[in-house]
Amino acid sequence: MPQLPHMPAFLRRYGTLIGFLAIVLFFWTQRPQTFMTLPNWVNITRQMSILGVVAFTMTIVMVTGDFDLSVGAMASLVGIVAGSAFQSGAGVGEAVALALLVGLAGGALNGLLVAGVGISAFVATLGTLTVFRGLALYTSGGASIYGRVIPAEFSSFGRGAIQLGELRIPNLTLLAALVLALVFVILRFTIVGRRLYAIGGNREAARFGGIRIARLRMLSFVISGLGAAVAGLMLFSRLSTAHPTQGEGLMLQAIAAVFLGMTMNEEAQPNVLGTLVGVLILGVLANGLTQMQIDTYIQQILTGLIIILAVTLSSLSQRGLRAPEWLRRLLSERRTT
Amino acid sequence: MHLKIRRASKAYAGVPALIDAALDLYGGEVLGLVGENGAGKSTLIKLLAGLEAPDSLEARLNGARVTIPDSAAARRLGLRFIHQELAIVPALTVAENLFLNNPLPRLGGVFVNRAALYTLADEALRRLGIEHIDLRQRAALLSPGDAMLVKIASAFIGADEQQPLIYIMDEPSAALNQAEAELLYAVIERLRARGCALLVVTHRLHELFRIAQRVTVMRDGRVVTTQKITETSAEALIQAMTGANASQLPATEQVKTVPPAERPLLRVRGLRTDALVSASFELRAGEIVGVAGLAGAGRSQLLGALMGIDKRRAGGIELASEALQNPAPADCWARGIAYLPEERRSQGLLLGGRVSHNMTLPHLSRFRRWLAMMDRRAEDRRSQQLSHSVQLRATGIQQRLRELSGGNQQKVMFARAILAKPRLVLLDEPTRGVDVGAKRDIYRLIRELAADGAGILLVSSELDELLALCGRILIMRERRLVDEVPTADLDERALLSLMFAGAA
Amino acid sequence: MRKFSLFLVLLLAIGGAALAQDAPSIAVMTPFLAQPGTQLMVEGFEAAAADKGWQVNVIDTSEDIAALVSRMEDVALQGVDAIVINVDPTQIEPGLQAAADAGIPVFGLDSGAHPLLATNVTSNGYTMAAETATYVVDRLNGAGNVVMFIFEPYPPVQKRGAIAQAIFDNTPDIHIMDAITPSFDNGPLEGARNAMEAVLLAHPEAGSISAVWAAWDDPALGALQAIEDAGRADEGIVIVGIDATNQARDAIARGSNFEATVAQDFSGMAARVADLVEARLGGMMSAQVNHYVPARLVTQADLVG
Repeated sequence: MPQLPHMPAFLRRYGTLIGFLAIVLFFWTQRPQTFMTLPNWVNITRQMSILGVVAFTMTIVMVTGDFDLSVGAMASLVGIVAGSAFQSGAGVGEAVALALLVGLAGGALNGLLVAGVGISAFVATLGTLTVFRGLALYTSGGASIYGRVIPAEFSSFGRGAIQLGELRIPNLTLLAALVLALVFVILRFTIVGRRLYAIGGNREAARFGGIRIARLRMLSFVISGLGAAVAGLMLFSRLSTAHPTQGEGLMLQAIAAVFLGMTMNEEAQPNVLGTLVGVLILGVLANGLTQMQIDTYIQQILTGLIIILAVTLSSLSQRGLRAPEWLRRLLSERRTT
Repeated sequence: MHLKIRRASKAYAGVPALIDAALDLYGGEVLGLVGENGAGKSTLIKLLAGLEAPDSLEARLNGARVTIPDSAAARRLGLRFIHQELAIVPALTVAENLFLNNPLPRLGGVFVNRAALYTLADEALRRLGIEHIDLRQRAALLSPGDAMLVKIASAFIGADEQQPLIYIMDEPSAALNQAEAELLYAVIERLRARGCALLVVTHRLHELFRIAQRVTVMRDGRVVTTQKITETSAEALIQAMTGANASQLPATEQVKTVPPAERPLLRVRGLRTDALVSASFELRAGEIVGVAGLAGAGRSQLLGALMGIDKRRAGGIELASEALQNPAPADCWARGIAYLPEERRSQGLLLGGRVSHNMTLPHLSRFRRWLAMMDRRAEDRRSQQLSHSVQLRATGIQQRLRELSGGNQQKVMFARAILAKPRLVLLDEPTRGVDVGAKRDIYRLIRELAADGAGILLVSSELDELLALCGRILIMRERRLVDEVPTADLDERALLSLMFAGAA
Repeated sequence: MRKFSLFLVLLLAIGGAALAQDAPSIAVMTPFLAQPGTQLMVEGFEAAAADKGWQVNVIDTSEDIAALVSRMEDVALQGVDAIVINVDPTQIEPGLQAAADAGIPVFGLDSGAHPLLATNVTSNGYTMAAETATYVVDRLNGAGNVVMFIFEPYPPVQKRGAIAQAIFDNTPDIHIMDAITPSFDNGPLEGARNAMEAVLLAHPEAGSISAVWAAWDDPALGALQAIEDAGRADEGIVIVGIDATNQARDAIARGSNFEATVAQDFSGMAARVADLVEARLGGMMSAQVNHYVPARLVTQADLVG
């Protein structure tokens, strides 16, 4: 079997990051006045904060080799739950607590189905996705919750910012950064993090090696449910509107971001800093392509192609994965000419 | 008909599994093939089946030179195989399974002719004298014996219409009871009478004397002898299988041994799981006890039951007078039981993980700092020490496991066990796929663990290893612990005949 | 370097699409571009803008409101000259705020009124619903059972349902059998079709259903399909819709149960918005919250004649 042309190690590991910087550079040259400005970057971080929270907590689930497809529906449901609480006269504290509780319960349900009953994560969370969506539609009667029932201090959080000298850092950006730091510490520095990676690395070996797999998989789904709940509240606060399907776009994008992040790890493991770059790639693409007035449908096509390209190129260079014959031939021909 | 095999050789990763083997199969004759586990029988069959590429192989069918690049080629030559592993698809019906490796009868070239399928399947089973299996039933519902019968029957689809074929069977009777085996013998006899050539691998020596005309013995990858069955005896065959030169291994090297403690460390009574029929025995601290048996005798399942991997159905386990109630593997590690599974790559190691992470996997809570943070400095320090004491050859504790040799991977597993300060160590084929140098290190590690007061249960297919390391050996047959013998009274021949029930 | 250059090639290729921009730049933003009415408006606006020599950027976020807000922030930072929206303005307040902060006027195109909008151009939803509801009352001679298809979450459509209901309630012998919100999972047409199939099964006797009133054309078309497939096209069930899409016009023209719809003057609205934008770019402010563009009833006579 002919070997793939050798890629320098740093390119294999940092290829996606280099690609990201190339995208930034490109938009910078194309939109010099508006793209590479502080307000625009603050803008991008705020826009990506909600997706970020979902993607960061999703990273934990994917570290153990599972998926959580229900996060988007959970984010929508949580908005409706908090909105209904406001409608029945609850304060901000109560509504937020109730919403987080719903996220925790939903995550626990996913964990129970996957780790306890033993249904595949794909099927189990596809099922709960539909249940959560139905609950959100049923609770809200299909209508949005907005207007005066929502306390001003709740919606002002999503639009507010903290002034740091010249810089106004949006509350949502700060919250996402906090979640990022938390997930980073858990995965990188704690015993739990090490065990989660062991489960993802080889489930049977982890079990034989004395790891309590069911408990930890359960925990990872609970965290992802909580992350979805936080994201749902952020979305509700930012829009001052809770719509029963408003979070549904988050799930696919979060998984895409984690996959993009996996391309930056030599063992192709999910890692939260990689996920951050993945989230930023998605955010910068949407922001930059809009500024360049590219048709929004073309934007979707391009975003999908870039994800596929990044994952393909990195899997080509990963050990154990072989590129299809035609692509290898193409690459090696390119090299010789 | 005459299939002549010469100079069959095959090495895996530089370790020879088959060396210059020669074999002759004649029409109207059954050739038995015997040897210990790992003697090269299965490798030889894989070469004939086109499943592995040989390093060298000369094959002549009726004098004409032939090659076997893949399984389709083997089929064209008239070779039919019954492999050891049960290749039954549980979701398909019995009839569909019968046709898995045979062309399905067609309607109009595209559609499966279901009527013909069931007629032909029915014929195939009848030919074997099997009438109790429902053709339309899902194969998942079959007992292991019935599943094996179905597999055997599938090799005979269309057998009567065609010219005589060559049948190669790898332990066809292993999963069968006596009555089912009789059915098989009848079929073998009928095929032989029709002029087919048959090669039968078996561990049941008495079977050979019923069905075979000649027998070939293999040892250490070589063909040792081929004899007429009337000119040999079970005694002589076992002698040939074990050889006289088996004691050259480093297992005999002397390490100071401590007399084991008086009180039993481990007490097992009537232990039963879905994969283990029964086991009762005791083990004392500082003692190394071997577990011997043929493939499929339930040795790994015994360790699995002790480690809490298979759910216990009955019986009791006491470790240091404390009962273990249906523990998870995590509880067992916490109680001081260390386990090195047979399949270390798929069941033991995180191949993408680092050396240190693999060593500390069951012991992470020992490296706890504030708020469940890992004390990575302490982890690195301890891993460093352990690498030293197991004489690990790696670029460092940061190296990925996948880059290490088999022997060094096993040393990482031993480091993991040592870190447990274990009371009981369960070893499943610890020297399989390990080179001679690493083997010597591993024997030393086993003896040191025992000298430090651990009780050791050692499953091994290497008889010399069992005899040299263990004070006692537990004998397993057909998923039962059937006997227990002190090694002082034992040589390889005696041990082997204990493993082959009642053959000698 | 390969990955790097591939990214660059890809991006440069699309970079060619971005033109130099001296002409006024207008962003048209909606999450509903897949809806026929929205398409007509956007096309109408593009045509009017072409006449005026503007550069138009159409942004559709496929029913994702949060993404629409993000894109509004992007175009606000980019500094377009005006933004035209077709979405409920109360749901995108942060986006409106971003535009207001950047000093960019936002115009509603059939969206609803909002303090942060320069103005909103729309049809008068009350009059449109009144047209079709009275058509039903007249056709039934004031007596019969009506199935309604409504959509409460979107105010302009919600209005229509409210007015039709008032008219039916005000007619003593008209009975509202059901007010259904069709599922959007596979499009409102399919949702309405499934719902109508259920209603038909629940009321199998001929004549038990007199009319279907739909707040827009898609559910009316779905109901028509369900009635025709059930073999009950000859019961004289009267179907009316609103918006006069091409599909609806075809159904009316062939003399099916679908008898009437109301044509909003989408291109008229789009042209009116374009005029208002032009006036604003020229410095003129409009104090009017809503500008109404008249709509008219469409029946077979209008289409064949």
